[in-house]
Amino acid sequence: MARKIVELTEVTKIYESKVMHRALNRLDFEAEEGEFIAIMGPSGSGKTTLLNLISTIDLPTYGRIAVNGVEPETLNQNELALFRRRHLGFVFQTINLLQMLTVEENLVLPLTLDRVAVPEMKRRIAELADKLSLNDILSRRPDELSGGQAQRTAVGRALIHEPELILADEPTGNLDSKSARDVLELLSKINKSAGTTIIMVTHDPLAASYCDRVLFIKDGEFFNELYKDEQRRTFFQQILNVLSLLGGNVNDLSSVRLP
Amino acid sequence: MTFRQFAYRNVVRNRRIYAAFFMASAFSVMVFFLYSMLLFHPAMNEGFVEEIATSGMLMAEFVLFIFTLFFLFYSMRAFLQARTKEFGILLLLGMARNQLQRLIFLETMLIGSVAIVAGTSLGFVFSKFFLMIVKELIQVPTLPFYFTWQPFALTIGSFASVFVIISLVAPMFIRTGEVYDLLQGESAEQDAYSTSKWRALAGIVLLAVTYTMAVYATNLYVIRVIYLLPAAAVLGTYFFFSDSLPYMIQLFRTRKRLYWRPFWLLSLSEGVVRLKENARMFFIVTMVSTLAFMSVGLLASLTSFANQYREINPLGLVYKSYPGNVLEQIHVRELTDELNEKDIDYTVVPFRVLQQKSSFTDKNVSIVRLSSINALGYTFGHDAVNVKNGEALFLPQSESSFEQLKDHSVKTSLEKSNLDVTISGAYPYRLFPPNAIGANAIVISDEDFDRILMGEDGSTASLFRYYAFNIANWQETKDVGRALHEDELQSILLGGETNTLFSFGNPGLNYSIIRTTFSLLLFMGLLLAAVLFLAAGSFVYFRLYTTLDRDRRQFDVLRRMGITDKELKKIVNRQLLPQFFIPWGVAFIHTAFAFLALQVIWDALAEISIVTELTLVLGGFAILQISYFYLIRWRYLSHIRTPE
Repeated sequence: MARKIVELTEVTKIYESKVMHRALNRLDFEAEEGEFIAIMGPSGSGKTTLLNLISTIDLPTYGRIAVNGVEPETLNQNELALFRRRHLGFVFQTINLLQMLTVEENLVLPLTLDRVAVPEMKRRIAELADKLSLNDILSRRPDELSGGQAQRTAVGRALIHEPELILADEPTGNLDSKSARDVLELLSKINKSAGTTIIMVTHDPLAASYCDRVLFIKDGEFFNELYKDEQRRTFFQQILNVLSLLGGNVNDLSSVRLP
Repeated sequence: MTFRQFAYRNVVRNRRIYAAFFMASAFSVMVFFLYSMLLFHPAMNEGFVEEIATSGMLMAEFVLFIFTLFFLFYSMRAFLQARTKEFGILLLLGMARNQLQRLIFLETMLIGSVAIVAGTSLGFVFSKFFLMIVKELIQVPTLPFYFTWQPFALTIGSFASVFVIISLVAPMFIRTGEVYDLLQGESAEQDAYSTSKWRALAGIVLLAVTYTMAVYATNLYVIRVIYLLPAAAVLGTYFFFSDSLPYMIQLFRTRKRLYWRPFWLLSLSEGVVRLKENARMFFIVTMVSTLAFMSVGLLASLTSFANQYREINPLGLVYKSYPGNVLEQIHVRELTDELNEKDIDYTVVPFRVLQQKSSFTDKNVSIVRLSSINALGYTFGHDAVNVKNGEALFLPQSESSFEQLKDHSVKTSLEKSNLDVTISGAYPYRLFPPNAIGANAIVISDEDFDRILMGEDGSTASLFRYYAFNIANWQETKDVGRALHEDELQSILLGGETNTLFSFGNPGLNYSIIRTTFSLLLFMGLLLAAVLFLAAGSFVYFRLYTTLDRDRRQFDVLRRMGITDKELKKIVNRQLLPQFFIPWGVAFIHTAFAFLALQVIWDALAEISIVTELTLVLGGFAILQISYFYLIRWRYLSHIRTPE
């Protein structure tokens, strides 16, 4: 059996502001090394909270979390930052490239933070640029890119330090269907070839259908789980079925795009 | 909600953004008010000190006014640009353009009027304290607190007009393009990368040429074009900020080995955007700081000139009587009486000064008797010197002329007495103010002196009689001889200088005038410079604020990417430090070279060391600037750490 890269045991997260809000309630979740997992659920179901907890930028109120064998609670802020920097990669919905850096510079940013030698950075860029077909746009700025190119760059930035785990928050949320497919196929390819674990929060059943496993949560609790089928089309249909059972708001389901 | 309420709420709810802007305007209103308090002071209508102080203050008021106008102009423009998105929404909702203009007018006037009221009242509160400081500086017995309408009218009138002008002009900055463009918001990054190579080069070359010429300002060719230097420096500075600096950073970015380091990557790329956005402001701040540094430096050098005054003017009082002056004895009696009356210790040494023509230089020479010089020297505690018959000593005007003359030897004949003397060496002590005796003065032995006096033309040889008062407490004499001084002025007015047969000098009085004038000017200059620094700092803060949303998002990315608190601080430091200190550093270098060039024009500057004064002043400003930097960094960090 493969190593467990993420382990959540009875995790509860409560936000206490003016109104107390229970975002996650006794949730158990595991991810094995090399898995490609989607997390789905209606708005307010706790998807993003879950992702933030795994990202170690937020700590649970109760319960135990281990990421890559490390319990975030035992680390201080600096150690957490270093841990994220070395072991985690992030892809966001709003493509968070730094505007004043070129594509190339955006890619090396995580490496510069870790003082990697320049020849090594160049080597990795060359490698990644081939894989992600970024070669033509390396010297461009984010505002000169199409949505797909920008998201590919963001994926590249998440990959450059060769993390064990990639966390993606609605990576296709702002993309047209073709770019979305490109990005998903890219993630899937990375997952297969490098064995990188990917956990992706998404609203889009089509995006989820690329994964090995889909976890559904509702109101911060486990709702259902689906494993990949032989055929993506049937897997997609199953996902849709669960979503309709979930009974989230209609608006949460983005328009269906068939491949 | 009425339209006015809407404008009001816009301002009040954006108070954090407006805070720095408001503070800087209120502070300049306050200083302006304090200056006008002094300007209209009833005790300010008499005397020389007050005249200089008044015109200095008028200048300061004017500079302050112009600067505030510029400051508000730029802040307002930056602020409106940052709000283009908001205006887009308003236009989308169907607001007419003239309504938008009215909105901006109302908002500006609201901040303006509050700033004026706050500044004026603060100024009024502090005016008593301010007048007390000025009283100490100009050493007048009283400078009472007073209350009239003029300072209020001037301050409120001036600043109200500034705000009206700004709020009428400001709406023009909003691009009148399509609503869609406005909704897209402003992205200053677009033109951040378009630097002109030629202008970049021009900036560097202009500055280099200016600096070189400043260093070689003594060169004859350079002097002819020296008036071009300020213009070249201004233009060079502008290009430097708008093109050279961004261009250099761009060049640096291609050097990956240097550039791809933990903090440089982020801070430099951010820096170039900020630099481009704020190039004009940096330029203005630099020029204004240069002016401030220079005036402070000049005033400091004048103050230090005052401190060295005593060395240059060793005598307490000086009375000169030309042949034919019948009032001589009366005047000297008046002076001694006054000194006695005021209980000031003095010794007076009268001596005769003769004039002959030197055959060697064909110029007039003033001649003093050895025993008189020794008698005067004795009162200072100097040793007596000896001069043999047929010999003479130069009586040098200053330390530097002593150095020149001490090994100098000249053989000459004095006409018309035909006395041959060998002048060799110089009298080693400074007893007189420069040029008191004459440009060329020598000391000869008593016998030679008498020979000239008893000679054929002895009666015409006599130039004047000199009464040298040596007074230890020389600063106390500033009120002695006022009547005599009046008489002298009267006589010059009525009969011209040639018919005035006496002259009276009071270094104590002159010193107090010079000292008080310059310390007053220095004080005002410092206050003015403080306003400018505060304004420059708040502009930087304000710029940071307008891009806060973007910065917050960036920080969020970095946080997930795994950045430690220390690293964040380092990055922010590297972004903020240049914004605070580059304009300042450039201004400082400008000033240094300007002083080099100024030494040509004003020799005295070369002899006076202003290192202490300048260090004090710059140190003070550095402390001010550094604490402001930390304040702003603290606010900025806490803002980007709190998520939206």
